[in-house]
Amino acid sequence: MQQTLTLHDRDELITPLYKFDRKFWMVIAFLIAIITPGMLLYVRQLVLGLGVTDLNRPVFWGAYLVNFIFLIGISMAGTVISAVLQLLKVNWRRPITRIAESLTVFGLMTAGLQIIMDMGRPDRLINTLLYGRLQAPLMWDIASLTLYLLTAVFALYLQLIPDIALLRDTAPAAAPEWRKKLYSILSLGWTGAKEQWRRLEKAITVVSVFIIPIGISLHTVTSWLFSTTVQPGWKSTILGPYFVVGAIFSGIGLLFIAVSLAREYNKHLKEYITETFYINLGWIFIVMSAVWFYFTLNETLVVVTEQETLEFPVMASKLFGQFAPAFWGMNILMIAATWILVAPKFVSDKPTRNPLLQTVTGLVATGISVILFFLLWLQLPALSDPNIQTGLIIAFVLLFIVALFGVTKWMKTRLITSTVIASAFVLFGMWLERWNILMPTLTHARLIPYTTYTPTITEIAVTISTFGILTLMFVVFYKFFPSISIWEVEEGRALEQIADRR
Amino acid sequence: MNFPLEQPLFQFFYWLVNTAGVGSAVVGLLIGAAVTTFALTLRWIASAKDMGQESYPYPPKH
Repeated sequence: MQQTLTLHDRDELITPLYKFDRKFWMVIAFLIAIITPGMLLYVRQLVLGLGVTDLNRPVFWGAYLVNFIFLIGISMAGTVISAVLQLLKVNWRRPITRIAESLTVFGLMTAGLQIIMDMGRPDRLINTLLYGRLQAPLMWDIASLTLYLLTAVFALYLQLIPDIALLRDTAPAAAPEWRKKLYSILSLGWTGAKEQWRRLEKAITVVSVFIIPIGISLHTVTSWLFSTTVQPGWKSTILGPYFVVGAIFSGIGLLFIAVSLAREYNKHLKEYITETFYINLGWIFIVMSAVWFYFTLNETLVVVTEQETLEFPVMASKLFGQFAPAFWGMNILMIAATWILVAPKFVSDKPTRNPLLQTVTGLVATGISVILFFLLWLQLPALSDPNIQTGLIIAFVLLFIVALFGVTKWMKTRLITSTVIASAFVLFGMWLERWNILMPTLTHARLIPYTTYTPTITEIAVTISTFGILTLMFVVFYKFFPSISIWEVEEGRALEQIADRR
Repeated sequence: MNFPLEQPLFQFFYWLVNTAGVGSAVVGLLIGAAVTTFALTLRWIASAKDMGQESYPYPPKH
């Protein structure tokens, strides 16, 4: 097979790697600015201990563990996109495989950080490794996480080798020597010989097969961590699949956002990452949202129906207690995200005079419904009358429906923007979902008086830092390696040419 | 009465899951095996003999 790389491709994908322009430094400066406060507060936590957080008995896991589960979840993007679509020989996956795989690696790295941040004495981490017992679920998590991270790094590296060889061979004369040397070492002497291609593709296929069960094992082992305790609310047999579905759902959400940001940062990528990707992956996104809703209904309905003495207070705190804003907020975000993805497919492009389908109507209704949601959340004494509360809830639901109809037309003509908005809703909703799994149970522990948990400024700042670190790794990595798998795109073009000739 | 832990096999299983350090050793073996496999795979790819550059797409062509 003869593949071609045009100078046009080279200019668009390789030349930007050597340009450290003002835009790049501004992004770096912004990320450092949001990372620094969290890091300083973490150092303070190290010195003063976990007392600076709201972690205490029985809430040993707080925002840090919510981040851990969330970050592990988003790391599923690489497995789904790269491995599953690779094995199914789906052609539209090619331009986004690298971004997907790198999200897996960086997601897992930042997830690992959360465990260390959650420890009052991280210097004792070594004891977990030295004296670990197989009966400890924590050991299963360590094994699964480490194996998944190593396999994800290996999968990313395998796909990078031909492109690193390209960078080695096409580095401009003005490029720093260390960078040329780095590419030379990492390319492993790749020459593109037929046998090398054959072996590389074989290795990629084998890794794709193995990474899927390893990825699923990590997500289910994390749910086992919960279910092997005696705490109410974590006993559901559906928790494992629920984690996996949530992971794929949030992973695709983050992938949409990362790909869209990369397209905005380097406008040339729009030639490679087209709307086809948004349409096709959007369908998987819709399916995942349907499965997620079904599992959430299952989780809720079973506990509400059985009314078990220890389980029900946990559920009650979600439905109308201290965690109600997070629970209903999650559901509202997910309903809105699904609507944004699905509804535009059922309306026509033609202008309409229907007042319900006007963007202005949608925006006004959205604004008022957001205000109503916060009024309900704040539980102001002046609005504590049950009749007023019921009225506010009915008004909120009606306005929310009007808002959804109102923005549909606008979304119809903006596929990428609407997908990014839906993805942001899903990501925030999935973070809240992790919160809703952990916090209600921890604050309603068995045999211990009920308590509350509110993250302190340290936990909030460290959380912001974590997402800053994730983005920083992403930005720096793509200053050294192309964000598009060039050889895969070339291979796809060659295959299309062959198909066209037939 | 048959109590499982009287049998050597179950005593072994008990030792396996309850002994401090054994879990770490098993995880270490697992990770070690994975890293070795990955390293050998990379060596296998890099050591492929150059049998004509039929599919070599670089340097760029117009």
